[in-house]
Amino acid sequence: MTAASLPQFPWLTLLVMLPLAGALLCLLHGNRTVESRWLALATSLAVFGVSLYLFFCHGDGGSGWLRYEDVSWIERYGIRYVLAMDGIALLMVLLTAFLQLAAILLAWRVEEKASYFFALLLLLESGLMGIFLAYDLILFYLFWEIALIPMFFLIAVWGGENRRRAALKFFLYTLAGSLCMLVAMITLYQIHGDQSGTYSFVIGDLLQTKLSSTQEVWLFAGFMAAFIVKSPLVPFHTWLTDALTEAPAAGSLDLTGLLIKTGIYGMIRLAFPLFPNASRDFLPILAVLALFGLFHAAWCAYNEDDIKRLLAYSSISHLGLVVLGLAAWQLTAWEGSILLMVTHGLTTGALFVLVALIRERTGTRSLQELGGLWGQAPYLSAMFLLFSLASLGLPGLANFAGEILVLLGVFQVHPVWAVIAFAGVVFAAAYMLRLVQGTIWGPAKVKRTLPDLTAREWLILLPMAILVVWLGLYPAPFIAPLHGTVAPLLLGGMP
Amino acid sequence: MSQTLLFLIPLLPLSCAVINMLFGMRLPRLIPETLAICGVLGAFLLTILFWGYAEGEGTRAVLGTWLSSGSVDVSFALCFDKLSAPMTLMVTGVATLIHFYAIGYMRDEVDYARFFSLLNLFVFAMLAIILADNLLILFLGWEGVGLCSYGLIGFWYRKRENAKAGTKAFLVTRVGDVFLGIALLWLFALTGTLSITEINAQAEMISPGIVTVLTLLLLVGACGKSAQLPLMTWLADAMAGPTPVSALIHAATMVTAGVYLLCRLFPLVSLSVFGMAAIAGVGAITALYAATCALAQREIKRVLAYSTMSQVGYMFMAVGAGTVSGAMFHLLTHAFFKAVLFMAAGWVIHLAGEENDIFRMGGLAKNGPKELFWIFLAAAVCLAGVPLTGGFFSKDGILLALFTEGTLLYKGYWLIGVFTALLTAFYTFRLVYLVFAGEPRGEGQPHAVPALMRWPLWPLAVLGLAGGLLNLPAMVGGGESLHQWYGKLAGRQVTASHDLEWLLIALATGIVAVGWLLAHLRYRSYREPLDNSVSRFLLAGWQADAVVDRLLVRPFAAMGRFCSAGCDRTLFDGTLEGLVKLSGRWSGLLLQLTTGRLTTYLSAFAWGFLIMLGWFLLKLVNGGGH
Repeated sequence: MTAASLPQFPWLTLLVMLPLAGALLCLLHGNRTVESRWLALATSLAVFGVSLYLFFCHGDGGSGWLRYEDVSWIERYGIRYVLAMDGIALLMVLLTAFLQLAAILLAWRVEEKASYFFALLLLLESGLMGIFLAYDLILFYLFWEIALIPMFFLIAVWGGENRRRAALKFFLYTLAGSLCMLVAMITLYQIHGDQSGTYSFVIGDLLQTKLSSTQEVWLFAGFMAAFIVKSPLVPFHTWLTDALTEAPAAGSLDLTGLLIKTGIYGMIRLAFPLFPNASRDFLPILAVLALFGLFHAAWCAYNEDDIKRLLAYSSISHLGLVVLGLAAWQLTAWEGSILLMVTHGLTTGALFVLVALIRERTGTRSLQELGGLWGQAPYLSAMFLLFSLASLGLPGLANFAGEILVLLGVFQVHPVWAVIAFAGVVFAAAYMLRLVQGTIWGPAKVKRTLPDLTAREWLILLPMAILVVWLGLYPAPFIAPLHGTVAPLLLGGMP
Repeated sequence: MSQTLLFLIPLLPLSCAVINMLFGMRLPRLIPETLAICGVLGAFLLTILFWGYAEGEGTRAVLGTWLSSGSVDVSFALCFDKLSAPMTLMVTGVATLIHFYAIGYMRDEVDYARFFSLLNLFVFAMLAIILADNLLILFLGWEGVGLCSYGLIGFWYRKRENAKAGTKAFLVTRVGDVFLGIALLWLFALTGTLSITEINAQAEMISPGIVTVLTLLLLVGACGKSAQLPLMTWLADAMAGPTPVSALIHAATMVTAGVYLLCRLFPLVSLSVFGMAAIAGVGAITALYAATCALAQREIKRVLAYSTMSQVGYMFMAVGAGTVSGAMFHLLTHAFFKAVLFMAAGWVIHLAGEENDIFRMGGLAKNGPKELFWIFLAAAVCLAGVPLTGGFFSKDGILLALFTEGTLLYKGYWLIGVFTALLTAFYTFRLVYLVFAGEPRGEGQPHAVPALMRWPLWPLAVLGLAGGLLNLPAMVGGGESLHQWYGKLAGRQVTASHDLEWLLIALATGIVAVGWLLAHLRYRSYREPLDNSVSRFLLAGWQADAVVDRLLVRPFAAMGRFCSAGCDRTLFDGTLEGLVKLSGRWSGLLLQLTTGRLTTYLSAFAWGFLIMLGWFLLKLVNGGGH
């Protein structure tokens, strides 16, 4: 932790605080829609700039923490304000900043209580950044809940027809999980304090805690309750399909692109390192859950007529593969999993954007009522096709890079898992092609002229499209930061 | 450094595809068309220019890293050697001619940019398969051709059936891709590399049992792309695509990718006796199956589709019999004459007023252009295996290889091959008679087609007829030049006494004659098609679609409904709702306590106090006991 000793500019704090400040300013603007819109855009641009700067500084990875900011906070309870960034966090931060820009542009036309909408989006970004950077349990929990609340309001206020129900389900489900985590956090803190005499919530300190195997299993279960619900693994996933379906477009984008990744990130950052023995024992179960989810969700997606729900299920199915990669506990599989998290955020995020655009134009999300969009809006349809193909794992596009690394890695330790998971490739093709077939091919069902992509929509989608091709053909810059981080994590230590 | 220039061969069509994809719609028609031609023609000329690189051991070139993580290190690497060079030349050459034809064929199509960019993209992906020095690059091309095939089959997407046929092709071939993918993972786990060269070099170190399983996995993968049993159902439906697409993708190039894959990994595959027998077996069964189906088809393109399936079956038999040069020989001649047949079929359909049914054609020899008749006939005699044509020599080589393999099993395959040849001759001449003989039965008015739809057929027809020169057997004075060219890669040297060879040639000639005679007797003058249960069974491709639907598609959809309605809505959400209701009831009970009446609170307080007092007393008593 040599970086800690050098006085340096608190870039990480900036990542967390900038959106928070932006959110407050938006609120102060009350009912001035235009200003808050531009303010939100400016803020998230600044955050994106910072994260890009960090990416260029630390793009080559390197072991150890890339950044470490440590300030005393509530000394009485050993709570410190510690933000730390390694290669994984770096990628997640970059993804967050990028998708958040897209979300804000997507929400550009929100008129109803717009300043509140943008404030909540920014607050969410702050929470997400905090989750990915916090290195103190209480701080982590704080951000964990900060990310929960804006999403709840985004769904409950700006959502679709069943928004109340979906928001409540989302809230209760994730809250139940996170309360389990809180109890486990405090217990761990207590045990560690009793053992060592210094009470601390900093994760680095807690790593040294000696736990009996029973204690370890229970505490691990507490943490995993929160993460499994958030990821979400089947059978704890039904909140996600409802929430994604009812959330406003920008909310769906954040939810699928970022929020559900926090569950997996939590496993990597907290659950696995803090409880190495319990995690090892749990890995086969995790793999079974992952595989079950992969196929269950794929089948559900195949059966779904609402394209937003279909994509929600496809998300769950993809995350099954991500979790399977983690469960293999193998270097290539882990790097693939993390890459797949990023690429999935891009492709599925873009698909949710497109669904919102299609809904805006046609007024429907049902495969029964859509069709033949290619003839009416060719560029929109081409984008739709591109991201669908990326999502079904076409080589040369983003998702394939992650998927094949996961599969190559998993096969080396558990060939059977990899073989089963590979069959999921056909499943993905089955539901994605059904989606494409029902949306852009066939006779045109909506009989009016539909506008093609506008300049603002190009601005959202074009960078994503470029990234999807780039990540598919040359993912090296995005794997490089992982090399130094993943290996020590697999050995049970922290950077 | 200069070998890196080899990458221009695949990248040229790719860049033209990308340009057409992005800007094609905004440019005047001539530019996208020219670009598309330039892409493939350029690749063709470059292949000739770089031909020297293929000599000896061939040339390997690396452009950069694709994926690197842990022990995985995949680079963009290509291998231009004696196996890939002729295939590259064939693909780019045939593709160039078909592109010219396509410009004529699609002259009224408004969505030309999409068409030509997909066609170019296809050529790129096909070249990636051929030139890949790395299984993952090969897989990239493998999936890429699947995508282009999907997009082009469903090119006229407004008709739902077309798009459905595309989806079906993608899904069925992807089932095969999974097996190829698993083989890829396994080979990586065994050898620690994905380089084809290194895998072939290390093949002998892998234990024989595993080699057999790997061979079978690769075989299923090859079956998907090459439309062999049991993954063949997509090819006949793929005829929904525009005819140039059928000629290029579903006759000359993509469907032979499976054969090429097995040839590329021949050093590995040939180690497994069982695997080889399985390859030849799949080929034999498919050849026979498809030939029987072709007997009863009514649509001209479907006849050709089944004949393609059948001919690719011969190529599989050749690989199984251990002769790579024999398989590649048939692959090349077949590419020439089958491309001609498809393009001529497009011409025929055009003349018949967009009529597909051969029973509503007829009389084209008299009423149609003479040029068309001769070209079609030239390609048809190649397909039928009339002596001295290219198709005759290549097919005969395969039959000879099967016969001389030695074991009884291969004699059986040989018998199937001979019988299939008879069927082939019959259905080919049936097609010729129905289309060209007699009087016109349809409404089609003879009219001219653009020159671009005519002249590309000539060079290919000539190549098909003279294709035998590529690998002329020694006994008729040839030098087996293709076999010599492949050198170490050629597989088994097929040797037989000249008497045996002459005997087989005589047999083959007799079979073609019988096939022609039967067709002549049956179809010289027009007769209505038979309509009995056998012909209906054959017309429906042995009801394979219905079987797949019953056994796979419907259970899959039912499982989807079960997971969605049964599990998610009933089990998972139901349990949750049960919990919510339960907690609701509990809170209801608790709510009853808060009645708001002071007396209730007071009495509750009193009771509580009493209980606590009692507990303390109890503790006191117990404590006092010590």
